[in-house]
Amino acid sequence: MSPFALEEPASLAEALALLDPDDPGARAIAGGTALMLMMKSGLYRPQRLVSLRRLGPALTGIHTAADGGIEIGAMVRLADIERSGKVRAAAPVIAETLLTHSNVRVRNVATLGGNLAHADPHMDLPPVLIALGATVRVTGPAGERSIAIEDLVTGYLETVLANNELITAVSIPPQTGRRATYAKVTARTADDWPALGLAVSVHAEDGVVRDARIAIGAATETARRLPQAEAALAGRAVTDTTLREAGRAAAAEAPVVADHHGSVAYKRVLIEVHLQRALRRVLDGAAR
Amino acid sequence: MSAAPRTIRFTLNGSAVEATFPPHLSLIELLREQFDLFGARESCGQGLCGCCTVLVDGNAVSSCLYLAAFADGAEILTVEHLARDGRLDPVQQAFIEAGAFQCGFCTPGFVLMTKQLLDDHPDPTDDQIGHYLSGNLCRCGTYPEIIAAVLDASHCLTVSL
Repeated sequence: MSPFALEEPASLAEALALLDPDDPGARAIAGGTALMLMMKSGLYRPQRLVSLRRLGPALTGIHTAADGGIEIGAMVRLADIERSGKVRAAAPVIAETLLTHSNVRVRNVATLGGNLAHADPHMDLPPVLIALGATVRVTGPAGERSIAIEDLVTGYLETVLANNELITAVSIPPQTGRRATYAKVTARTADDWPALGLAVSVHAEDGVVRDARIAIGAATETARRLPQAEAALAGRAVTDTTLREAGRAAAAEAPVVADHHGSVAYKRVLIEVHLQRALRRVLDGAAR
Repeated sequence: MSAAPRTIRFTLNGSAVEATFPPHLSLIELLREQFDLFGARESCGQGLCGCCTVLVDGNAVSSCLYLAAFADGAEILTVEHLARDGRLDPVQQAFIEAGAFQCGFCTPGFVLMTKQLLDDHPDPTDDQIGHYLSGNLCRCGTYPEIIAAVLDASHCLTVSL
């Protein structure tokens, strides 16, 4: 790695002051697992890194809201989210997803905020958090704003965040009456990066879908919702025909990109098949 | 931009130590270059193979993806500190008895990941063993013997409790 200076501010305000919106050579570092890879490969050569690890308890808490929603601090490590009883109670799909994410050592170090700010389309959490309707809380010099996870990422490793804005927390609304699942589809080995990450969150009653949120990652340049597939389900009775139509709509509308995990045609088949299976998993559960 | 050297204090294998180094040093570089600890090896350099595993405050990490500066104030344990009073750790002993290695390059990482597994799940299921060890690669292919060693060590530790 090429040399850089390391700042370790003790407050969020101090950290923000050390970041410069016009200086791409200065960046925040949280756990650093993704950034270390980028620096070791020479993809990124910072002049200065601003460590967020001393910013204190404001960014490391997990809080359940009165309405059943949950807020997870940006500096909470993925392993702590995986083991959190509060997170499991609010949205069990998150812990299930994290078990498929990278390996134990990386999850012991990587943080939630870092995972999202990294904006790699192959990450598992973004489609899941989109399906759950989550938002990030972001703080910058002008104050705080909330951004829906689906609006956070603009392209490969690109976000809407200014260089002097930091994610401070992720808010997940209450999931009352909903069931969610995540399908990580790898084309070669089980621990490979996904060719498709697919998350669904469904509210169904009496065999009818009231509301469905469907999000994919890895097969597309950014994680995103699939509104036509969602519309194909809304208000419809749960039948094989309905699910097949949703699968076809999803495969047709997704702006799929080819990479060494699969061609466009292959990934469209994955979307069509795995959406139907994922829906069947949550709907059969909800029907009980 | 000056990359001023950084001085940190931490506990390394039970002893209080201090180190001064440039901020871009990784933890594995610090351990090998300044403390002559060669049990952790940088192999893939990407957190995938597990050869560089060390424990930071009881948590297994890939020391090749960990900034050395982040060890400030932490308790670091490497494979060198597992044997106590001339006796191998039960996990090490189990690896020897099961013949769970051929060249031995990956063994320190497997031993430390097994420590982490058995700390979290003293009587692990097959799924838990697979889950914890899936991030460690043995290119000699001694996986069956490694799994046998994990089960031996688990048996040894739970019986002696």
